[in-house]
Amino acid sequence: MILPVLLALPLAGAALAFRAAGRPAAAINGAAAAGTLAAALLLAVAVSRAGAVTAFGGLLRADALSAWMVALVGLVGAFAAWEAPRYAERAAPGRLYGLVQLFVFTMLLAVTTDDVGLMWVAVEGTTLASVFLVNFERTRASLEASYKYLLICSVGIAVAFLGTVLVYFADVNQFGQSAHALRWTTLLRLAPHLPPRVVELAFVFLVVGYGTKAGLAPMHTWLPDAHSEAPAPVSALMSGVLLGVGVYAVLRFKPVVDAAAGPEFAGRILTGLGLLSMALAAAFLWTSVNYKRLLAYSSVEHIGIVCLGLGFGGAWGTAGALLHIANHALAKSALFLLAGRIRAAYGSAEIGAVRGLLGSLPGPGGAFLAAMLALMGLPPFGLFVSEVMIFGAGFRAGRWLAAMLGLAILVAAFAGLLRATNAMVYGAADTRPFGAAERRVPASALAALGLLVLTGLAWPPGLAAALARAAAIVAP
Amino acid sequence: MTAAANLLTFLGLVVTLLLVWRQSLPGRLRLFVAHSVLLALLAATIGWLAGRPGLVGVGAVFLLVKAWAIPRVLWRIAAGAPVRLVAPGKSAGLALLAAGALVVAAYAIMLPVRAATELPTEGAIPLAFAMALIGLFLCVTGRDAFGHILGFLVLENGIFGFAILATYGLPGIVEAGVFLDVLVIVLIMEAVVVRVRQEHDSIEEERLRELRG
Repeated sequence: MILPVLLALPLAGAALAFRAAGRPAAAINGAAAAGTLAAALLLAVAVSRAGAVTAFGGLLRADALSAWMVALVGLVGAFAAWEAPRYAERAAPGRLYGLVQLFVFTMLLAVTTDDVGLMWVAVEGTTLASVFLVNFERTRASLEASYKYLLICSVGIAVAFLGTVLVYFADVNQFGQSAHALRWTTLLRLAPHLPPRVVELAFVFLVVGYGTKAGLAPMHTWLPDAHSEAPAPVSALMSGVLLGVGVYAVLRFKPVVDAAAGPEFAGRILTGLGLLSMALAAAFLWTSVNYKRLLAYSSVEHIGIVCLGLGFGGAWGTAGALLHIANHALAKSALFLLAGRIRAAYGSAEIGAVRGLLGSLPGPGGAFLAAMLALMGLPPFGLFVSEVMIFGAGFRAGRWLAAMLGLAILVAAFAGLLRATNAMVYGAADTRPFGAAERRVPASALAALGLLVLTGLAWPPGLAAALARAAAIVAP
Repeated sequence: MTAAANLLTFLGLVVTLLLVWRQSLPGRLRLFVAHSVLLALLAATIGWLAGRPGLVGVGAVFLLVKAWAIPRVLWRIAAGAPVRLVAPGKSAGLALLAAGALVVAAYAIMLPVRAATELPTEGAIPLAFAMALIGLFLCVTGRDAFGHILGFLVLENGIFGFAILATYGLPGIVEAGVFLDVLVIVLIMEAVVVRVRQEHDSIEEERLRELRG
């Protein structure tokens, strides 16, 4: 029962918001986001109490892994909706709220369906729902960004479709046609008997395809443009959870491939792509002159760390990767929301245009500094814990070379981020008179930072168990 | 069935190679329509011979979407773009060579798939996969928005052909989702291209390179 409600809320919100205008639209947006968050948390509780929840004859199915992602989408969706009214005033509010809710709906559908074909449709839907959000501010640059985003992600998702077809081929070729042949539960059950070479080939296509959505290098080229041109709440959603949904799609196939072709194959690919993404992103962290692009490249780096964790595998590596997805979502959504405020105050997204942030805007500046330190992986924030888990898993698995290489890149990325943060936060305060509205810290960013301290210092009850259950699905 | 599948897929590959060779927009568009018609025929033929009426229906929808609705949108996109006055084949030598290499690569990549099956359509699978690869190549090397979109559509057609030959059609919900997606993507692309053209007076890719670093 809770599963259809969870999906119906953002969908209804979208349908209503498209027709509404002004204050009613904002109210619909808030109500839909709050309702979705409540339903997401209820679902997480239900799954942790009684195991997987299904609906519509098993077409929708939420297990611990789905619940983990659903809670994350609900949370970041609420942060984004909280901040959205600031951006909706300028242009058609109904369109912004409607598209954001539709975007949330497609992401929720992608992580709660048992049918990998429908999951593919939903992931494609995330692109279609968000392409006009990237172009929401209707500038030249945002138009180019949305074109690039649509083209590259459509091609990527077509490649993922090829992988899905290959999985289906392996399945029906062995066991005959059935309506449930593309169900993940069926695939997992039959996996040990599937032809290993075909499944390996399928996984390569799936990683390239869904990896494009996840922002893995070298398919990441759309990401810095789209993430930096979109309005801040949309950037928060895209960077925070859309990338995670792309990783989730790959995650669903990993246990199938592991069972069919042995655990080495998928792990090696993910480790390689993870290291490549980290290295490429670290280089761009040093050269970015625009702080929204800097944050976007940092997303590529963190998705690389997540893939590294999945590549190391085992209970620790996988749990670390899942926790890192969540931590990154919290830190990055806080940062994009703050960056949106800073950009509105300074009128520029150039790193060079922002000086002495701590002096001129102590509230947002302090929060920005804290979130940046969290992003760099410093304690007491959660990213420190998940990175320790991931690299610990690497050393424990005896993958010394990959782990050492990853740590070296991490140091380089750390320095690049620190350089930009230093340039923006310190120095002489700006002499411009800022209003009280600009000095205020967005509450959603503070909430995200608070949650990051929780995942870093004191895990709330049930978190460890939920994480272990989700990780056990990927790495049994 | 083997002969029919092989013939239709082979013709599809020939049309794909012609697409690489042709330079004029209306010519490429006509070739794309021919490509779509061939694949719809492939779906209908396999559906008929293998006794799967659903697949004949999929072929009909495919014909409607890919040979009628999408070409209409592509006409509108092409109508505003500058037609390249390049003699056919003049600069396509290298591209054709690359496409040929992709066909060889397709045979190599599809070895495990062919080893795993004894379907009568097995022999045509690498040909369809080659279409998909060449479509990807067209998309990546396309010099304007029209080239990108055309390459993407050929990629989609190749994957469709591959799915038909390897599995005799996917479950309905996926099939429907694919058609809807492609249609929406092309419509959105048209909207974006029209807006880009309003602002840039051209859809050439060199001008879409401002976002860097």
